[in-house]
Amino acid sequence: MTSSRTTGRPWLSAYGDDIEAELPAPRHASLAEMGHSACTRFADRTAFTCVVPNGMNGSLTYGQVDSMSDAFAAFLRIDCDLDPGDRVAVQLPNTLSYPIVALGVFKAGCVLVNTNPLYTRSEMLHQFTDAEVKVLVIVDIFADKLADVVPQTGIERVVLAGVPEFFPRVPEFIVRTVQKVWTRSLPPIPQLPVPVTRIRAALAAGRKHKADAKQWWQGLERRNLAMLQYTGGTTGVAKGAMLSHGAMLANIDQVLAMGRAYMDRETCVLTALPLYHIFAFTANFLSFFDIGARNVLIPSPRPVQNLQRAVENYPITWITGVNTLFNALTNEEWFTAHPPKHLVAAIAGGTALHAAVARRWHEVTGTPVAEGYGLTECAPVVSFNPMGDRSRPGSIGIPVPGTEVALVDDDDAPVEDGKPGELLVRGPQNMDGYWRRPEDTDSTLRNGWVYTGDVATMDDDGYLHIVDRKKDLVIVSGFNVYPNEIEDALAKFDPVLEAAVVGIPDEKTGEAVRAYVVPNPDHVGEPLTREAIVKHCRTLLAPYKVPRSVVIRDELPKSPIGKILRKDLKAEVREEFKAATPASAA
Amino acid sequence: MITPLETTLLGIMMMVIMLGMGASMTWRDFMLAFRKPRGIVVGLTSQFLVMPALGFALAMALGLPPAMVVGLILIACMPGGTTSNIFAYFSKGVLALSIMMTTASTMVAVVMVPILLTFYSGLAGIGAEFVIPAGNVAQVLVVLLVPTAIGMVLRKVNPNIGATVELIGSLMGVVVILFLIVTWVPRNYQMLLDTGPEFYTATIGIGLAGMLFGYWFARGLQQDSNRSRTISLETGIQNGPLAVLVITLSFTGEMQQDVLFIPVLYSLFIVISSTFVTMWYRRNATREELARDAAKVAT
Repeated sequence: MTSSRTTGRPWLSAYGDDIEAELPAPRHASLAEMGHSACTRFADRTAFTCVVPNGMNGSLTYGQVDSMSDAFAAFLRIDCDLDPGDRVAVQLPNTLSYPIVALGVFKAGCVLVNTNPLYTRSEMLHQFTDAEVKVLVIVDIFADKLADVVPQTGIERVVLAGVPEFFPRVPEFIVRTVQKVWTRSLPPIPQLPVPVTRIRAALAAGRKHKADAKQWWQGLERRNLAMLQYTGGTTGVAKGAMLSHGAMLANIDQVLAMGRAYMDRETCVLTALPLYHIFAFTANFLSFFDIGARNVLIPSPRPVQNLQRAVENYPITWITGVNTLFNALTNEEWFTAHPPKHLVAAIAGGTALHAAVARRWHEVTGTPVAEGYGLTECAPVVSFNPMGDRSRPGSIGIPVPGTEVALVDDDDAPVEDGKPGELLVRGPQNMDGYWRRPEDTDSTLRNGWVYTGDVATMDDDGYLHIVDRKKDLVIVSGFNVYPNEIEDALAKFDPVLEAAVVGIPDEKTGEAVRAYVVPNPDHVGEPLTREAIVKHCRTLLAPYKVPRSVVIRDELPKSPIGKILRKDLKAEVREEFKAATPASAA
Repeated sequence: MITPLETTLLGIMMMVIMLGMGASMTWRDFMLAFRKPRGIVVGLTSQFLVMPALGFALAMALGLPPAMVVGLILIACMPGGTTSNIFAYFSKGVLALSIMMTTASTMVAVVMVPILLTFYSGLAGIGAEFVIPAGNVAQVLVVLLVPTAIGMVLRKVNPNIGATVELIGSLMGVVVILFLIVTWVPRNYQMLLDTGPEFYTATIGIGLAGMLFGYWFARGLQQDSNRSRTISLETGIQNGPLAVLVITLSFTGEMQQDVLFIPVLYSLFIVISSTFVTMWYRRNATREELARDAAKVAT
């Protein structure tokens, strides 16, 4: 099973002159080496600028990122006494601390566990326990969640970082004062059974050792594990995709191969997508870091008005986003009247880009959005549209260099040309499997092929189109939501007898979660309301997982053995939305 | 009623505020206002058409004595005050539009105000000669535009300094508003007690009616809600100090004191009523912001 399924590479002609057909030989052995090399080559250039909504900002040069991440690596290895391969979780919005911590973890030879800062206590608990996290770096505005989480995990040390961390002194003071006095978003630090260190203190401690961080990373090889990137699980729990240094480095090269002709050192990329999401992590952070570009980090991109100062004050040349972001920007007068004039490229991923949004974006900015496709299991980029006029609307583009794809039917046999089949991916960017879940690994990763669960078709010239999804997951603004997890959460609510969750098309987020709920007849008290259900879900689930739509029913469609038939509900949804918005049922 | 020291102090504070307002803007904001010049035209029309007519109508309806009629018509004919810019800022309005309207209306005032005053006072059967001091008009423009320009440059040069100046300016705005309310009410409470309800109706009413009509006038001429709110504030908030100045230059003795009464009372109450209107506008603006964020692209 196998190479026979690769029927040549029809997309090669679409590579044109600017995309190398063959992936270049790997340049580095590890992400630590890649980072250190970029820092050395571009030492005096600005690497990151973090911009808060009122325009206050702080920046770090490549040289500063290098020395600060060295110090953080020393802190991890010496002060925290971590061993190579130990897991360090980072739970930060886009701030200057993020690249320092991520690169510090790689330089320490440890494994990075990106974590959504909006996760609830139970989601944090699961992820930290599953990954056996030893050190957690968390943003101080969410420190109040720690008291319930840390004592139940193996976390030995907590590091706190603020949003305005490493800003010049006056703006840092002002932003912190506003957080403390005005928005009241700085909770007191709870009493914890483990030491809590602020990141500045951690760096100071690390620096004192005057250790050469190279000792910890020079032995790293491409096969070594770099990150555990959690993704929703079909069994209701999130599981960690094991991404090696080699997979990440390969994907960086693949991203660069597709966009290199449109990037130079003057590139300034707007990072409004969260870095804990694999798309922004690989595309925005690592790929642009590798070429010495400047990254404008937005800690809080909603409402989209928060981006105004960043767009006005910096010469943005690249924007990465999801449908939601492009949609919101094209609704803002300040953006449409004066779109960024240096803009060279805009790329979209994570979720289907709506044709109307793409068209409007092109009209407003004069730059088309190139849509791509990826998944956590592939670090994440699998395919992308070539930049410029070879971009094909509605298509997820062509496989990136070094990637094989195949379309197969339910019997694992290749489909006929032009017919839909499950998309399989094989390439150097593939994960090594799910962390400590051999069964899940076996069902997703077979003979080197990642079974994506997405059903696609391929044009004669290799452009791919996603037409359906095999797995039941719902993708909300690029985030995977597995119905089981939501159904479990609903089942914990006493007034609920049973529930089923499916996705519904949503102009804004691509898809949204809909819950079909049957009230529990034995429950006494207030009748079940949509509000009560949503409120309950908010206590257990991150906001994007909370059902947007709730339908209360007397019963759910079931199979003869009593299994709830999600496919029947999906058919209902298709019927319901067919008349309304035919284009959005992606 | 205001000591010269307070006037100077207020002038300086006003400049700090405008520095902050300027730091919140870019040239693009002005370009945006120019791209839709209709907004300025609608605003000016509202300012010089709606407002004086309202003033006249209100004066007639309330049957005020002649000196008060002059005072009310005078305040209604004044160009936009600089405080309107602070309120536009706090209400998340279109600040560039507000500043351009204040600038334009102040310049136009040199010609328009004498014409309007002569017309409406004639209509009310009162003959009077009015002097509009061009020098003071220029002074208003300098206080308004120079700090704004400096603020904009500061932001361009260093966004951190710009944001800090903006913050200081807006804090100063709150201080000035509180200062006006806190110092005026206790010192003038006797006058406030002696004043009849028709004078309250006239002074508070002219501001609120200006805002109400300004809003719907702009809406009717297809301005979006944010611009309309800005035009509304600009229409309702008049340059009270300039009115006081015009009166001291145009009248003497007892007549001067009587004519001054309405503009002074207006200047006090407009700060209070604008504060409430601004809070309400700001809430609407925030709600619209969030709704826009969630809106669909029009196909």
